[in-house]
Amino acid sequence: MKRFFKQIKEGISDLLIVWYDELRSILSDAAVMLLFFAAPLLYPLIYGFVYNQEVAKEAKLVVVDLCNSPESREFRRLCDATRDVNVVATCTNMEEAREMLRRKEAYGILKFPSEFSKCLASKEKANIQLYSDMSSLLYYKCFLLTATEVSLKMNKDIQICRMENATEREAEVTITPLDYEEVAFYNTQSGFDSFLLPAFLILLIQQTLIIGICVLSGDTYDRKRFHRMTPILRHKRGTFRIVFGKALCYLMIYLISSFYLLFIVPQIFSLPQIGNPLHIISFLLPYIVACTFFGMTLSIFIKEKEAPYVLLVFLSLIFLFISGVSWPGSAVPPFWKYVSYLIPSTFGIHGFLKLNSTGAKLSDISFEYISLLIQIVIYFISACLIYRHRIKQECV
Amino acid sequence: MIMVREWRILTSRRIYLIAMVGAPLLCVLFFFSLMGKGLPEKMPVAVVDMDNSNISRRLTRQLDNFKQTDVVAHCTSFHEARKLVQKGSAYGIYYIPEGLEHDILSFRQPKVSFYTNNSYIVAGSLLFRDMKTLSILGSAYVARELRYAKGQTERQAMAEIQPIAIETHPIGNPWINYAVYLCNTILPGLLCVMIIITTVFALGSEVKSRRSNELLRIAKDDIMTVMIGKLLPHTLIYFLIITFIEVMLYSYMHFPCQNGLGSMLIVSYLFVLACESIAVFFYALIPILRIALSLSAFFCMLSFSISGFTFPVTEMHPILQTWANVFPLRHFFLLYVDNALNGISFCYSWVSYLALVLFMFLPLLSSWRLKTVYKYDVYDI
Repeated sequence: MKRFFKQIKEGISDLLIVWYDELRSILSDAAVMLLFFAAPLLYPLIYGFVYNQEVAKEAKLVVVDLCNSPESREFRRLCDATRDVNVVATCTNMEEAREMLRRKEAYGILKFPSEFSKCLASKEKANIQLYSDMSSLLYYKCFLLTATEVSLKMNKDIQICRMENATEREAEVTITPLDYEEVAFYNTQSGFDSFLLPAFLILLIQQTLIIGICVLSGDTYDRKRFHRMTPILRHKRGTFRIVFGKALCYLMIYLISSFYLLFIVPQIFSLPQIGNPLHIISFLLPYIVACTFFGMTLSIFIKEKEAPYVLLVFLSLIFLFISGVSWPGSAVPPFWKYVSYLIPSTFGIHGFLKLNSTGAKLSDISFEYISLLIQIVIYFISACLIYRHRIKQECV
Repeated sequence: MIMVREWRILTSRRIYLIAMVGAPLLCVLFFFSLMGKGLPEKMPVAVVDMDNSNISRRLTRQLDNFKQTDVVAHCTSFHEARKLVQKGSAYGIYYIPEGLEHDILSFRQPKVSFYTNNSYIVAGSLLFRDMKTLSILGSAYVARELRYAKGQTERQAMAEIQPIAIETHPIGNPWINYAVYLCNTILPGLLCVMIIITTVFALGSEVKSRRSNELLRIAKDDIMTVMIGKLLPHTLIYFLIITFIEVMLYSYMHFPCQNGLGSMLIVSYLFVLACESIAVFFYALIPILRIALSLSAFFCMLSFSISGFTFPVTEMHPILQTWANVFPLRHFFLLYVDNALNGISFCYSWVSYLALVLFMFLPLLSSWRLKTVYKYDVYDI
């Protein structure tokens, strides 16, 4: 019994030594400081700033009015009056309008054919052509939605005018027997910041953490500094102590930066935040731990402290797409779906989005939570094996 | 001499093989297999049908028939459907109220509602489009039936229901293909990441292994010879890779390329050279390898957001609009739009060509500093 207590005592003191040692090497390495502190601090601010306009407004549209009738002018006026579209010019022919598109003075053309008002007067169908530059889908969306809305409104007015001897309500019901309303959930203005930033913040935690861990581990290779841990190695089961001690150190740092990332940054950019903070924190813990062990596992591929930049940075974008946020998860091919299950950020992003943006409870995201726990177990075992292997190598 | 030496280094270390060839090929494979279909299809939507009538079932069937939607659940209450959305197993809800058919027939103008989860913006917008179309069509369908009953022909009825119709022409990408929209910039963008980071890494490794002095000696103290000799093998490899990417994009996937593959290849080669120049500049600016790599990583990841292929630069803050110009990917994107998508002539886009060329003067500006670094072999520990 006494021996057992002694062992525990020893274990804890070894753990603290590793923890202190790791903390010191983090604080003394400028590059790791950049990764662990400067990147989480500054990057979200810049990123949020880039997308802070949330939506495209006043997309520049040029009108080609070959008809020049009261109806076409009204259509033009109604388009111009919306938030999404700004009519910058009215041209007399297509070539002129195309030239404006080439000069990037406008991104769309609305063309009224010369027989436009004649068609309306003779109760024929009148067509309008909408051309849109496709370099940005947001502009296309602005043009399309606005033109559709305006045409629906004008159609209604025209039909009401044509209906003789009917009350206003009667006309209304005849024209739209079935009404509809549209509601955007959770990200009500369909903004870019509100959609991308939460995913980005979670990904940032993982990427800086795994790159940082790999840099630190590459550093020990570079300097052959593993001998510093040899006092612990004298006792058996040193691996657990090293892995736990280091993980504790990262967890401590990342709890602080995550608090900033997930609670303060969304405040700064007033993103949708309807989650329960307690649930978010209790989801965050396994996420950070999973990322830590994932990073430790990846460090087997790193033999040099500069290598993580070369090998891990470009993966960020792939991790973002594979997680099924910017590209809907239901459309990710099965093979990549299984690959995505290996990466903590896949579950982290989904879990956080659901908790934070849709106000789900912890019980609603049990799939993500359990997956993260499984990842922790697997990556913990692999991390221990790798560290044990490396310690053996160093001892020889 | 230096070129042969560099070639040996590149072929002898695995990390270069992975970074310069493996990673770009992985990206090509990944994005093509992810977006091969162009638009995400069969996105899950939940229907709450409180009416369960002929018309409501017809609406549900119609919704399921859209290519991009897939009705995955028929819920009996709105609460149930919302739970599905919160769990992420549906991206939208189509709500049909009780007594729909009855109300339509008795001219009481019932109201259907649809909800989209815009936390997933792509899925949300696409579902929004389909559900809105369905609702407009649903209304038009009923209105048309009413007019048929009054003895109108189809043409008359349609002209009355929809006096003004919009014909949409998305220029250059008539299928509104997302792969065209994203891959054309993401793949060169990812290559840009690899180029900048690997080049900085290669430059710094010389100092790290304390062989930069030897390099200078071979080149008889001429830093330009060192730089050209060292980066020429890299450039050749990158030219091959980007040629492969462009050929895959425009010849294999047949993405629109109005001005022909040749014009895009010229743009790509300029782009590769600009990226390498930026890398040289970064390393000369901060000769501490890890810090220079951090800076490069930051720069590269930011260039995706600021190049404006997802969110237009013209909508960003004016300060950012100016700063966007220091990112090669921004100019590459503009040139891609002009050349491949819209097919307009050189005289409209010369500014971006000029910008890419200007990047190449950066190494000249910073060469004196690189020389000092190489001469004194200072690798910070």
